[in-house]
Amino acid sequence: MTARKPLLEALVAMLGPDDVLVSCLGANSRYLPHLAVTAPVFALCDSMGAAIPLALGMALQRPDRHVVALEGDGSLLMCPNVLATVATVHLSNLTALLWVNGHYESSGGQALPSAPVDWASLARGFGIANVERVGDAPALRAAFPRARAAEGPALLVVDVAFDPHEPIPPYSERPDEIRARFRIS
Amino acid sequence: MSSTSLRSGAQRIVGGLEAAGVTLAASVPDTWIGRLMATVRESRTIRAVDAAREEEAVAIACGVGLAGGRGAVLIQNAGLFNCGGVLAGLVDLYRIPCFFIVSYRGDRRDPVYYHEPKGRVTEPTLTAWRLPYAIADHAGDLAAQVGRGVEAAEKSRGPFVLLISGEDLE
Repeated sequence: MTARKPLLEALVAMLGPDDVLVSCLGANSRYLPHLAVTAPVFALCDSMGAAIPLALGMALQRPDRHVVALEGDGSLLMCPNVLATVATVHLSNLTALLWVNGHYESSGGQALPSAPVDWASLARGFGIANVERVGDAPALRAAFPRARAAEGPALLVVDVAFDPHEPIPPYSERPDEIRARFRIS
Repeated sequence: MSSTSLRSGAQRIVGGLEAAGVTLAASVPDTWIGRLMATVRESRTIRAVDAAREEEAVAIACGVGLAGGRGAVLIQNAGLFNCGGVLAGLVDLYRIPCFFIVSYRGDRRDPVYYHEPKGRVTEPTLTAWRLPYAIADHAGDLAAQVGRGVEAAEKSRGPFVLLISGEDLE
């Protein structure tokens, strides 16, 4: 299974200034300041489960921008109901990437409840038609353009390795700095 | 009779949202909020979005605000109680204006007995969570009360809650 950073690097390389990136708390938000991201980034450091609805609000307000939400499986397990809302609102300018590693990485690497979740089937069951599962950077590079071009919202279920010893950088930006810098032109 | 008094309370509240520049209302309904959202759906300038749970509605409204619009959240007080985490970890932490219209179930004007426990803890919860709030008065200018609430949220870059009762919609 592929580590997170190469997947994240593959994603941000496909984003441009006309995209918007909303990141969930944890490793994604901690890596992003160290990557060359040309899209505006709103990185969460708290509020599990907020990334997708936050991105949905931005996508509603700015139909001229493609908004990409990064969410973790632990966060979405708290509020999978948001998939129903996303399906109902049915925006084509919203893509969510669900990072699945089966652990609460930020809080010490505890395992999620052990019942396996078929996220792709769950998303389809909620009414999201554009769902793909990817497991490495080449697959992500192939799937993301399809997600971006899809009619209606898209979800990419990204299988990512869990490594309790991964040297994830600490948070390097404060919320007020993230808030002040975030602008959609 | 003034032209204002010919309009329902729900129409006056929605007029206040429109005048305040609100572009989107995210909601989870109860009986009263559902009636208000029916009027929101008649607006030409406010997009109505039905969320599955109240925390979503808050994040959606915040996303609208961060993208240059003005979002509002229309929910029941029980739903507001669900929102402690997102209020602290998103609205407060990132200082995002967020205006709420919350149905005040269980207060003295609510005829439904089973809402009473929620009514007893509503204002103490708002106070404990340091959420600025006002109680709507349908005898006054409801649109202006909405406008003051939206502006209070904008000015403080935080939340503001307007509590309404069913009679405020009539």
